[in-house]
Order: sequence, then structure tokens, then C-alpha cells
Amino acid sequence: MYAIEVENLVKKYGDFEAVKGISFKVKKGEIFAFLGPNGAGKTTTVHVLTTLLKLTSGRAIVAGHDVVKEPMEVRKRIGIVFQDPSLDRELTAYENMYIHGRIYGLGGNELKNKIMQLLKFVELWEFKDKPVKYFSGGMQRRLEIARALLHEPEVLFLDEPTIGLDPQTRSHIWEYIKTMKEEHDMTIFLTTHYMDEAEQLADRIAIMDHGKIIAEGTADELKKIVGNDVIYLKLEALEDVKCLKAEFIRGCKILPDGRVRLEVVNAAEALPKIFDLAKEQNVKIIEVTYHRPTLNDVFLYLTGREIRDEGETNTLASRIRVRMRR
Amino acid sequence: MRALTTMAYRQLKRFIRARSRVVGMIINPLIWLVFFGLGWSKVFDNPIARSIFGGVDYLTFLAPGIFAMTIFNQSFIGGVSVIWDKQFGFLKEVLVAPASRKEGILGRILGDSLVTLTQGMIILLLTFLLAENLKPSGILPALGIGFLLAVAFSGFGVSLALRMESMEGFQMIMMVLMLPLIFLSGAMYPIDTMPSWMKALAYINPLTYAVDGTRHFLVGESVTKFALTTDVGVLALLAVFLVGIAMLEFEKATIG
Ligand SMILES: Nc1ncnc2c1ncn2[C@@H]1O[C@H](COP(=O)(O)OP(=O)(O)O)[C@@H](O)[C@H]1O
Ligand SMILES: [Mg+2]
Repeated sequence: MYAIEVENLVKKYGDFEAVKGISFKVKKGEIFAFLGPNGAGKTTTVHVLTTLLKLTSGRAIVAGHDVVKEPMEVRKRIGIVFQDPSLDRELTAYENMYIHGRIYGLGGNELKNKIMQLLKFVELWEFKDKPVKYFSGGMQRRLEIARALLHEPEVLFLDEPTIGLDPQTRSHIWEYIKTMKEEHDMTIFLTTHYMDEAEQLADRIAIMDHGKIIAEGTADELKKIVGNDVIYLKLEALEDVKCLKAEFIRGCKILPDGRVRLEVVNAAEALPKIFDLAKEQNVKIIEVTYHRPTLNDVFLYLTGREIRDEGETNTLASRIRVRMRR
Repeated sequence: MRALTTMAYRQLKRFIRARSRVVGMIINPLIWLVFFGLGWSKVFDNPIARSIFGGVDYLTFLAPGIFAMTIFNQSFIGGVSVIWDKQFGFLKEVLVAPASRKEGILGRILGDSLVTLTQGMIILLLTFLLAENLKPSGILPALGIGFLLAVAFSGFGVSLALRMESMEGFQMIMMVLMLPLIFLSGAMYPIDTMPSWMKALAYINPLTYAVDGTRHFLVGESVTKFALTTDVGVLALLAVFLVGIAMLEFEKATIG
């Protein structure tokens, strides 16, 4: 059963095609990530899937309902954290939660308890009566996450949930997302331009560029597009070094400096086996390093560019552009 | 009803949070009341002038106009808050919600109108300190007229704001509209003394009916031009029409 099904989705702004006919499916209970640089079309896709933008052509089913034909049914079943801020800055954290709850049909003690529970979950309970305009970026983000969870959505959309936040706050928010998935069995659709974020959180990743999905799979599957993991072994004996042989070892080479270079599918799984093998053959390993292809390598391989080509400075520039456009 | 009450609640909450701004809002009408009204009231303090202004002193004649001006101003501020919601992103939160948008925007307009009415009331009470011949018994019904006007212009402000990208553009439209509407409402001089082309404009100006209706209650029949039913009827129809448009517009709203 799928939580999101998208077929040949196209979205044009005037003549400009921001999303160029993408298709994908997200399973129930899965964390699915769109990874791609700025301007790839991630936010546009999220806005179409959350009924905020009309698609130009194609079909999109979210939580069992067509986003075009039954937008209200879709809205009831989704929660969203937008890329750009969306809180009422004049009101307090509690009031923002309360108004959201009321609009989504909650009320009474049930609502009060939920607000308390969620504000505690994102560690904002002690600031509940502070107007949001005094909150830091990270606090606002946490509040937005709590707010999106208030009505217990079936599918949660997180559009660049940690953009512009410091590393500590980012890993904090990652923890919340993992907990949410585990405790509520929620389907999460995430967009990001951070590779580590996609890798940390997502069960499956679609790499997006220029309005198209150029690759899709688990992080491991995607990395295999580029090649195997590489392990370097430094052995005690420098002379007469021989290659280790086993069926999980895809390639082996002795380097001029005496180190052994092994290619394996998954270094994390292969390393224990290699230690066992070394023990059996009475070879003593004194140093191990390994290199896994990163998602950036994958993106580089597929597009000839790096995701990080357009790093933080561009993110800022695009935000300023957004402000000016409105 | 949920969307309606919640959005009304939100507008009231925001108003209470921003109390300090109230002072800023009423300063403009207050300047008119004191420097314009009090100033001219001395000039017009003679029997001939009094007969032009329906037999009452000038401040009493002017008071309903100041009240209507306050309502008009403040209603547009409600429109500005829609643009703020666009810029600060809260509008997205409302648009993605599974609630009736028509109800939500109606709630917002009603909430804003209550806020507007509060400001109008403050001005009205201050006016009572200066003008001699206003009837205290007319305050409540005058607020009723003010409410109709507030709803009508809030509805207009919301529709306009939904189409506008920038605060500056919106404020400009408001400035451009404000003075002609005030001058052509019979608030400062009687409609009957205007040249006929101005008179024609005054007849199609909604503020005219608000000023006239308010005068019925605060001053008396001697200074009014239309029947009370005409005033109330025009304002009520206008309110329904403009709010209806705002509701339809909001129903179709998307982002970006
Ligand atoms: N409202 C809009 N009007 C015109 N072009 C837009 C609009 N919003 C986004 N775009 C363009 O569509 C492309 C995709 O943007 P977006 O979906 O925001 O990408 P991402 O979220 O991956 O950074 C970009 O080239 C952007 O400039
Ligand atoms: Mg984006």
C-alpha cells in the first residue's frame, strides 16, 4: 500500500517547467527523501502534493486521495513543515498550537493535553507563552514540527526541515524525526539539499535535478551506481603480501606502498569478515581505512556537478529572491 | 463554524498583543478632529454658518465623519495584515488546512471589524469630550452603522490584499482613495452645497451613507440627507456584496 503515488507530474510556472514529468511511489510508514540542489523543483513538488499549487498535468494521489479532485480529503490527512517560516509571529507558541488545533477540529482537554505533550516533545514547553518573534530559528522550526504533528497526520511533509540551522540543532531535529517515525508509524516525505540528512533519515532517496528524478533507491543502492566501497588494509608484514580471497571481495590490489586495496559492496558488513579471514590466514592487520562513495559522488557521477556547488550562500540568495517575489 | 470562530479569535488576539499600536492608529483621525474640526468650529461659530450645518456647531457636524474615517482607515489595516500573512508565511498554514476557507475569511473579516469598531469607539468617545450637541443615546446604534461599514471595507481590503504583492502598493491605493472618499462623503460640508458633478460622486460613495446614518443617531434628523433605511440598506448590501467577493476570492487562492 502506498501513501503517495505520483505519475508524470508536470508543473509549469508560465512557460517555465519547474517539474518535468516525475513519477514515484512512497510506501506507507516510510521516510522518503527528495535530495537535490536549489531550484531542482523539490518545493514545487511538495506544494503540488499538499494541494497548494495546481499541477499542470499528471496525477498525484496522497493518503489515498487525488490532490486535484479531493483536495479537502488530502488536507485532512497531511501535515506540513514549509521551507519558509509559516508561524504567526505576534502570537505565542501555545496560541499558534491552539489555533492550529482548532482549525483542524480539535478542542477541549484533548487539545490542551496534546499541545502540552508535543511542546514537551520538542522541548519548548517552558517557552509556551513567549511570542514566536522572540524565538531563534531552531526554536521556530521545532514549533512548526510540533504544530504539524498536532492533528496526527498520516503523511508528513518536511520541506528542508533543517535549512540554515546549526549542526547541533540539525541533529536534534533528526532525532525528533526518527522518534516520530518509530512511535507513530507515520509516512514522511522529506526534501533536502543536505546529503547527510537524506542518508541519516531516509529509507529511500530520489535524487532530483532540474525538475527530474535522475536516480532513486536506498542510499546503498544509489552508491552502487558509482561503484563499490573501498577498503585499505595495512598489514604487519610488509613483504610477501598476498591478496585476500573470498566471494564477497570484488577486487583486490596490492599498492606500491604495501597496502592492500579491496573493493566490496558494503564495507561495514565486509570488515568483520575480513578480520575473520585475516585471523584464519594468520595475517595481522595494523590499520584499516575505508572509503564509501558519498551521495555527492553519485550526484557528481550523474550530473557532472556537485550538489554542494550551490551551497549556503546560494540558499540565502534564493530566500531573498523569494521575499522579493512576493 | 470552527474556522470562523478560530480566525476571529486570532485577529482579536493579535490586536490585544499589539495594543501599543492602537495609539498610532487613532492619531490620524484625532489630528483631523482637533486641528481641523476644532479650528474651523471657531470660524463657523455664527448663526449663518450654523444654518448651513443643519443648525448644530461644526464639531458636532463633523464628528460622524471622523468616526467613519477612523473605521475606513482601520479596515484597510486589516487588509495590510493579509499581506503580512503572505510575507511571513502564515497564509500557507491557513490555505493548507482542511477547513472551509469561506468561513475562515469571514471569521477574519468579522474579527477585524470588531477590532476596527473598538478603535472607532475610542475616537467617538474622545469626540464627545469636544463636541457639544452629540446624543449619548446614539452611541450604540452608531456603532451598529460603523460595524456595517467596517465589514464592507474589511471585505474590500481582503480582496484587494489577496491580489497585491507588496505592502507599498496596497498602502498607496489606500492613501489615494482615502481623502477623496472623505471629502465626498458630506462629512466636512453638506452634500447639498456641492457642485452637481461632486454631488453625483458623493451619491456613489459608500462613506456618504455611513456618515449620514451615523448622523441620524448622534446628531438628529435636521442634518441628515437620506432616510435611515436607505443608509442601512445601502451599507448592508455593500457589506454582503464585498464580503461575498472576498469569500470567493479566498476560496480560489493559491500560493506563489
Ligand atoms: N512562483 C514561482 N514562479 C516562477 N518560478 C518559480 C516559482 N517558484 C519556483 N520557481 C522556480 O522553479 C524552480 C524550482 O523551484 P523550487 O521548487 O523552489 O526548487 P527547490 O525547492 O528544489 O529549491 C526554480 O527554478 C525556481 O526559480
Ligand atoms: Mg525548496
